[in-house]
Amino acid sequence: MSETELPDDDRAQAGEYVLGLMSMEDAAAFRARISREPGLAALVLAWQEDFAQLTDEVEAVPPPSRVWRHLERDLFGGATGPRWLLAGIPGLLAGALAVMLLFVPLPGDLVRPPADPVYHIDLASAEGTLIFAAGYDGETNELFVRPETDAPEEGTVRELWIIAGDNQPVSMGLLPDDEPARLAVDPDIARQLAGATLAISVEPPGGSPTGAPTGPVIATGPVETL
Amino acid sequence: MATRDEIDNWIARCALGDRSAFKNLYDHTSAKLFGVTLRVLKDRGEAEDALQEAYVKIWKGSKRYASGGASPMTWLITIARNHAIDRLRVRKTTEGDDKIAEMPDAAPGPEARAVAASEAKRVEECFSTLEPDRATAVRRAYLEGDSYADLARHFDVPLNTMRTWLRRSLIKLRECLEP
Repeated sequence: MSETELPDDDRAQAGEYVLGLMSMEDAAAFRARISREPGLAALVLAWQEDFAQLTDEVEAVPPPSRVWRHLERDLFGGATGPRWLLAGIPGLLAGALAVMLLFVPLPGDLVRPPADPVYHIDLASAEGTLIFAAGYDGETNELFVRPETDAPEEGTVRELWIIAGDNQPVSMGLLPDDEPARLAVDPDIARQLAGATLAISVEPPGGSPTGAPTGPVIATGPVETL
Repeated sequence: MATRDEIDNWIARCALGDRSAFKNLYDHTSAKLFGVTLRVLKDRGEAEDALQEAYVKIWKGSKRYASGGASPMTWLITIARNHAIDRLRVRKTTEGDDKIAEMPDAAPGPEARAVAASEAKRVEECFSTLEPDRATAVRRAYLEGDSYADLARHFDVPLNTMRTWLRRSLIKLRECLEP
């Protein structure tokens, strides 16, 4: 190979792509290939991981506190909370983000958290230990639930309840043992979520036989509107 | 430094809109990411802006971060580094450097396998198999955001020679990293 001959090799191209050395056109063409070729995507990921190791030599520098203040103000400053961001993020930034996250591979069966949760609920024990985290997806009327502790004892299940105002607890269904899940939420119940409290009780397999919690309540949490 | 699992968990909780998890994530990772944006931009004010914008991307992007084997620090570093390089290229464009104006948008997203201290050592060892100049060129491209034009200027070689050097170095590196 002569000194000026350019090796045309996917390994080198993936490296150039990650380094940001390609022209816009080449990078766009390469991106299109990545989305079609899993082997190429794996190469890109390998380079990203390996190059990130180079930052070991980069000295950590605590940023001034104003960075967090500005961040907090920009992200959460509005009275309407993070949903404001949907309109507030400039298209350019959103576009860049879409590109950046284009090919983060996901396991096929992964249960995704809501893209834009309307409510968030931390279900914690009386001691403050987080048992489940939940987010309500207003687009699909589903509650995404993620277990934060071990599976329940053999022969028991955990059931989720909504307590709206002074009403009796109403079951929202059985919770998964150790994997995130999405629970379909009845529209009547969805309307009561704002300001309600959720609770988890331990029940026999199949759930409460009476329609009300029968076992100990192991976690509760207020529904936070985002 | 927080553990990989902690960082992983904070990002996952950001996806649920959990602001306290975001604060934890920021508190434990912002010094590292500020180091990265400073290294690229070499200007405190700009590096602060880039850091802030990177965390906006992180908060918004957390929904698409899946913890299936991904290395969370690589994900964060890639976002901060690429965002800083985007700013660097914009700055150079406005300074009227046409060569750079044609240069790439920053590389895409993150993810990958487990990171351990031994990973960094392995990468270091593979870099040491390259000729020192060439190892420096790859390092500069990643850490300083140098373009081919920058590198050719820095090493005082023609652009095509620089390309050849770098591509060969990348192939050699990959062979070393994954024999």
